[in-house]
Amino acid sequence: MNGSRIATIIRKDFGEFARNRFFVFITLMVLVAWVAVFWFLPDSVDETVRVGISQSDLDNVLPVVDGAEVAGLALVSYPSETELQTAVEDGDNDIVAGIAFPPQFLATLADGETPTVTLFVPAGLPAQQERMMEGLIGEAAFGVAGVPPPVNPITEAVVLGTDRVGQQVSLQEQMRPMLLIMVLVVETFALSSLVAVEIQERTVVAVLATPVRVVDFLAAKGIFGVGLAFFEVALLGLLIGAFAVNAPAIVAILLLGAILVTGLGLIAGSYGRDFMGTLMVSMLFMIPLMIPAFGALFPGTSPAWIKIVPTYGLVEAVVRVTVDGDSWSEIAPALLMLAAWGVALFAAGAFILRRRVSTL
Amino acid sequence: MGARPRRCVSPVGSRASAHRRAEWTFPARRDKADNGEVTTSPTPPATSAIAVDGIRFSYGDTPAVDNVSFSVARGEILGFLGPNGAGKSTTIKMLTGQLSPEAGSIQMLGMPMPAQREEIQERLGVCFEEKNLYLSMTGRENLAFFAKLFEVKDFDPEPMMERVGLSARLDDRVSEYSKGMRQRLMMARALVNTPDVLLLDEPTDGLDPVSGLAIRDLIRKEADRGAAVLLTTHDMHEADTLSDRVAFINQGSILTIDTPENLKLAHGQRSVRIRTRQGDGVSEQVIPLDEGGSGDRIRDAVSDEDLMTIHTEEATLEDIFVEYAGRGLA
Repeated sequence: MNGSRIATIIRKDFGEFARNRFFVFITLMVLVAWVAVFWFLPDSVDETVRVGISQSDLDNVLPVVDGAEVAGLALVSYPSETELQTAVEDGDNDIVAGIAFPPQFLATLADGETPTVTLFVPAGLPAQQERMMEGLIGEAAFGVAGVPPPVNPITEAVVLGTDRVGQQVSLQEQMRPMLLIMVLVVETFALSSLVAVEIQERTVVAVLATPVRVVDFLAAKGIFGVGLAFFEVALLGLLIGAFAVNAPAIVAILLLGAILVTGLGLIAGSYGRDFMGTLMVSMLFMIPLMIPAFGALFPGTSPAWIKIVPTYGLVEAVVRVTVDGDSWSEIAPALLMLAAWGVALFAAGAFILRRRVSTL
Repeated sequence: MGARPRRCVSPVGSRASAHRRAEWTFPARRDKADNGEVTTSPTPPATSAIAVDGIRFSYGDTPAVDNVSFSVARGEILGFLGPNGAGKSTTIKMLTGQLSPEAGSIQMLGMPMPAQREEIQERLGVCFEEKNLYLSMTGRENLAFFAKLFEVKDFDPEPMMERVGLSARLDDRVSEYSKGMRQRLMMARALVNTPDVLLLDEPTDGLDPVSGLAIRDLIRKEADRGAAVLLTTHDMHEADTLSDRVAFINQGSILTIDTPENLKLAHGQRSVRIRTRQGDGVSEQVIPLDEGGSGDRIRDAVSDEDLMTIHTEEATLEDIFVEYAGRGLA
């Protein structure tokens, strides 16, 4: 390999990239937009369930009202049933339901009669939450009446895995892998377009008629692709705080991710016939690559096969480092998987591009 | 066609060393004898800049080039003539090292291709048929980029752009160039390394007459400098005026190689076409030069007061190609 010639091709590629308005636009747009999206997302999780209460004559009996919070439950008091209903309809104070105790509630209980308590729930409230509210009313009624429920078992909660009570993963943190992967796949398209243009315009034929060898050309494209993808994803990572925990591990993860998408870019560029063709081929890769990131966004929804998606290792490693604070040894399996995919796809991309170039 | 005066030159240039170039200095193929008679030889001297021997290449089961042999001497222009699909581009791809021949051998500048591809390519200039330039880059950037790939020291694009008449468009993007300008830039790009071998695939295709003339002049100057030139073209007039020898290729095989003069003499009928005025009409007679008494007939016709025009007639390369290939170049 000839380093000087490789450097010359890389400089030329960077020049072409920098003067391509479309590439510059999507690169800047993605960076600005993703950073904005990230910082606009909530960075904490409110675990408190707020329930509205209307209890005209229970003030002395239910001291938990007026914002007092007990075990993640907050009761917000409203002076009348009508106002409570309006508050539930409008979602005031983030209340998820409203419980209206009727007037003379205690007197009715004392008389041995069964009072009717009204539960206001918004249309979209899941059935299980509605049943939970009904249970709450029962508990409150027994509490007010001073009569214990017929059965009162002692419940002991055992948390499997990390107990995140009070420190749930924020939407911001859940989105981080998704944003990083989206930047990488956008760069897949940029690289594949540059490669495709070399093939479509047959400029590669002119380059290979000089003393440049195919391996020099492939090395230049590979280095440029990895450099471009890594620079951009690292910049985004910096802006969204991905390096706050175990920065060297994040650097390694993103570098392997950049190698992986560069391999895909070389493949897509080899098969792209024109701009739209390259876009379509790139999309074929982009969509599956983002699936593991959705898995991180919606924990517990991922099917088992998601582990064979090349970017699974990347998402897994990013989540483990940034959310769980895992060490090198703990992320080693994910990192190895990512490295294996990266090397395999990069080799496949180089092989396919080499074949494509030699048949021009 | 009269023979052009030729110079036998030692190649000049900044890249190769003097001793390396000296081995490629040999007499020009077309010489003027002491008696002033121009002699031509159908074969170049033994030491050829390009020596192709029995090369073959197939695309699948379809042979594209089959048992093709030819050679080009330094300072010589070999016209490679054939219709589309005849095997011209495949041959050039093998010469550039893009394809490897399935059989036969290629020696360029004394080195085997593709075994010493890199060393050969350092001294090779190629002008492709397709305008494979970097459109988003300027003319200057295109030339500078390729000069760097050839590792040419202190390359200045300006004189090169001036040679092809593009100095005023040096810093314009190639996407803004006309087709003719792009072709001229292609030619300039082929010369950035002062090549010893020039492979030119349809270098004047689509050019206006003035640009075409300028490119032909440039090719001639490169040959005079000492470069061996392989020129593929559809333009029979170009091949005739520019080539020292022409090779006819059809269906992957070379049909013949010779000088344009020899081919025309061997295959055409030499004659004189004379037109004279006859009352209100025009009389035309064709006098074959190879028949007895032709001199007298010409003298009689020329002395006629009603002589209008007199033209020599000879076969064109196109006629001869049709005779060999049984088809035209289209």
